[in-house]
Amino acid sequence: MYSYENRLKEMRKTKIRHTLEKRKQNGYTDLDDFGTVPISEGYCVEPWYNSTNGSFYGYDGMCENFCRVIDAHVPYIDKNEMLCGRWRDMLVNYRGDLHYMPDWLKDNLKNLEFIKNGATNQWSKRWDEQRFPYDHLKPLQAKYNITTGIDADAHFACDYSIGFKLGFGGFLEKIEKYRKINPDKSEFYDAEERCVKAIIRFIERHIKEIDSLIKNEQDEAIKQNLKTMKETCENIRYNPPKTFREACQWTAFFNCAARIYTRDGAGFQVDGLLYPYYENDVKNGILDDETAKFLIANLLLIDPHYYQLSGVDEEDRDMTNHLSYLILDAADSINIACNLTVRVHENCDREFLKKAVYYLLKNKNGWPRFCNDKALLDGYMRNGVDKKTARERIAVGCNWMCVPGKEFPMNDTVKINIAKVLEEALKDMKVENEKSLERLFEIFKEHLKSAVEVTAAGINLHIDHAWEVTPELIMNLMMKNTLERGEDISQCAELYTVGIDGAGLAVVADSFGAIQTRIENEKLLSWDELYTALENNFDDERTRLMLNTAPKYCQGGTVSDEWAKRLTEVWVSTVKSQEMSKCRQLIPGWFSWSRTIEYGSKVGATPNGRRAGEPISHGANPNPHFRTDGAVTAQCNGIASIQCGFGNTAPLQLEFDPHLATDEKGVETVLNLIETHFKQGGTLININVLDKDKLLEANKNPDLYPDLVVRVTGFTAYFASLSPQFRQLVVDRFLEGI
Amino acid sequence: MLKGCIADIERAATHDGPGLRTTVFFKGCPLSCVWCHNPECISFIPEIMEYPEKCIGCGKCDEGCFSGARVVCGKEMTSDEVLKEVLLDKDYYKTDGGVTFSGGEPLAQPEFLEEIIDKCKNSGINCAIETSMIYFNEDIFKKLDLIMCDLKIWDTEDHKQYTGVGNEQIKDNILKANRLDIPIIVRTPVIPEINQGIEEISKFLKPLKNVMQYELLPYHPLGEGKRRSLRLKETNFSIPNKEYVKELEKYVFIRK
Repeated sequence: MYSYENRLKEMRKTKIRHTLEKRKQNGYTDLDDFGTVPISEGYCVEPWYNSTNGSFYGYDGMCENFCRVIDAHVPYIDKNEMLCGRWRDMLVNYRGDLHYMPDWLKDNLKNLEFIKNGATNQWSKRWDEQRFPYDHLKPLQAKYNITTGIDADAHFACDYSIGFKLGFGGFLEKIEKYRKINPDKSEFYDAEERCVKAIIRFIERHIKEIDSLIKNEQDEAIKQNLKTMKETCENIRYNPPKTFREACQWTAFFNCAARIYTRDGAGFQVDGLLYPYYENDVKNGILDDETAKFLIANLLLIDPHYYQLSGVDEEDRDMTNHLSYLILDAADSINIACNLTVRVHENCDREFLKKAVYYLLKNKNGWPRFCNDKALLDGYMRNGVDKKTARERIAVGCNWMCVPGKEFPMNDTVKINIAKVLEEALKDMKVENEKSLERLFEIFKEHLKSAVEVTAAGINLHIDHAWEVTPELIMNLMMKNTLERGEDISQCAELYTVGIDGAGLAVVADSFGAIQTRIENEKLLSWDELYTALENNFDDERTRLMLNTAPKYCQGGTVSDEWAKRLTEVWVSTVKSQEMSKCRQLIPGWFSWSRTIEYGSKVGATPNGRRAGEPISHGANPNPHFRTDGAVTAQCNGIASIQCGFGNTAPLQLEFDPHLATDEKGVETVLNLIETHFKQGGTLININVLDKDKLLEANKNPDLYPDLVVRVTGFTAYFASLSPQFRQLVVDRFLEGI
Repeated sequence: MLKGCIADIERAATHDGPGLRTTVFFKGCPLSCVWCHNPECISFIPEIMEYPEKCIGCGKCDEGCFSGARVVCGKEMTSDEVLKEVLLDKDYYKTDGGVTFSGGEPLAQPEFLEEIIDKCKNSGINCAIETSMIYFNEDIFKKLDLIMCDLKIWDTEDHKQYTGVGNEQIKDNILKANRLDIPIIVRTPVIPEINQGIEEISKFLKPLKNVMQYELLPYHPLGEGKRRSLRLKETNFSIPNKEYVKELEKYVFIRK
């Protein structure tokens, strides 16, 4: 029967099949699923390279190649779905970036050349170094193992209300209007216009394909669905969406285009922006709740963007509505890798929060996660931002927030590995006669300042030239000032509150704590013995264990807890006092993303008993084995105490065994943890609830569990798509956490 | 200031009473139940638990072991030191969570226990106890919010055989505690090899108005590793199967 329930079952089956096929085509990805479908038979793109650098840049380069890639996309229509469209490939795949390059493209001649010429997984040819070199920054960037953000794309948020108001035709009219006002910006407007027309062609190919499916379809119910699908596409080809279904379909097409461009991953306040359409359609008798749920489930399947739910408005009034509930129900019905964030405020509907926790415990798929409205708002306002704007800032990325349409935050793209900073400080102190913990801390602070300075220089370089390298042609369509001024968002954002994260907090805090405990207080070890142990990577296991068993960060009231707080103070003051050009300012956070293995590989043995090359600590989390009882409350307290306080996050990543039942007691226990951590000042909570036996079995045979979703860090991913090394990381973290 | 011997303090416990709790394990117990899952809490003095599989062979046992091969169980603590640990999670206790005094037998260190309870109560913390009910201490009981106790075997001779003491005193203390108007939860560990008289226990408890709940705790072998570490003989009791426990569940009750 062609019921919603059966159709959802079929859609899930297709998703599982796609996950396995993509694994074969792409290899292991260690990334968000992004909602892609496998590459179609015969798919081929011939990129246009406009730089002697061997890559493509700027308005013409990005526009031309966007058109080539989206034009090569065949329509995606599934008769079970109400919405259509999917994406399969993106521009960065043709710029030699190994971090994203799927296996199926590695045989491409140009890419073979990139690989042969030493492309790495760090941005490679994405930045035009011929025109905008930064060789003078590279030595210090390497010294402190900095993820520079230079040519990081996307990582800001569109204002979807602009698109819902204008539609694709409205974009074209707006381009025409402002082209006349800014005649010197024709290159910009030409590129924008061509991109919008390419998206319209993409929609038109879907219309044509649906038409041919209708002609051959015998089943009346399916035929009717296809007819409505076609009509929806026709309505939004030029016009703005008018109904709930049209708004969902419009979002699906725009997101496909934005993903093809730069796999951009920012969604919107979904229960807020879609609510007027829902309300209107229900009033007009053309939408019921079951259909609304199905449409949302379909949208989540098409693209697991970071969508936010609930929260309060400028006047602190609860924004939870009936649609908020339906969205949770919809996510439950499709139950895939969803990146839903529930915004928590004391004025929010508590029944809604309970329902959100219930689904987290029931489905064990890592969604939703939770962010703290109050701490994020109060913190962001400390940057001189008014309350209304601060309230608009929504959770749209792994660890990050953004004011849609207005902000250019580069969030999650800039990181300093502070374990590496500590290593440099230790090296410097080695040659000094007098060694002490305080002296080490002094040198650490000096290196940290250098690291922040060189990072800031990189950020300024990026913002100054991003428009000439990777202008954001698709996202520009729904930003303020862009089309109006004929400028890329990197040039004309209202807010340049740029995020900069520290990674490796627990490693460094525990290192200082271990030195204080074993060398200074107990005198069980000398400085010379410590240096010898670090240099020979702990030949003597007893020395390693002596350091590793010193009181740790998050145990509660320990020296390392104090060090974590002290490090946070220094981190915040160093970042906030860093001068930036123009109206830019930096915002500190603690987050490693999923780079713990990569960062760890660059750092030798550390005084907390960590061996050379082992992963660094994850985000703001404590090191493994921080307490024998693994008490979640201890972790919550510790992480609440090291928040940076300027509106960016230091997330709490919790791993739960599902012994917590989905009954009232289990839900209350988890909600109590969430509410209390937020009351203490915590900012963001990511929770994995996994079945231990299933996880261990899936680690052995991932293909047997293609629907198992885990929250890797800020994002959720299919376990089967992760590399063995990454799977092990998730397993280890989980076993430690339960 | 008084000092007591504490085996361990666990935070974020969800199985030692309502809400999120900190469980303080007192060291020392006058009973010696053969199935005890906290055998390190039987002796009243600090002792060394050995885990030879963790030994790194450094040969410096006397200078302190860091490998986890030799772990000292039992620490002399003041009530302020215990309170400091308990207060760490105060934000998470809310109305129903709090501290649970367990062990071992907390009532075997009555003055120390009372001092901690007083300090916790002054800090507004909900206090519960897990006791064998071998002692009746009205002053202490009256300060508590919840009493969780065991009635392990109905027949006193069997009780003596498996726990080292008869159960007349325990039954009498349950009756006395019932008069104090403090909610009581009574539990029986379920061990298939022993005839525990669960039906009789249930009948005994049913009329007692303050016994809010009678529950069964299926035996689990988690204490066996600790028995080995203490060089004690392993017990080899079996884990009750689901059918066995289900059959017995007709005797449990929750008083609304």
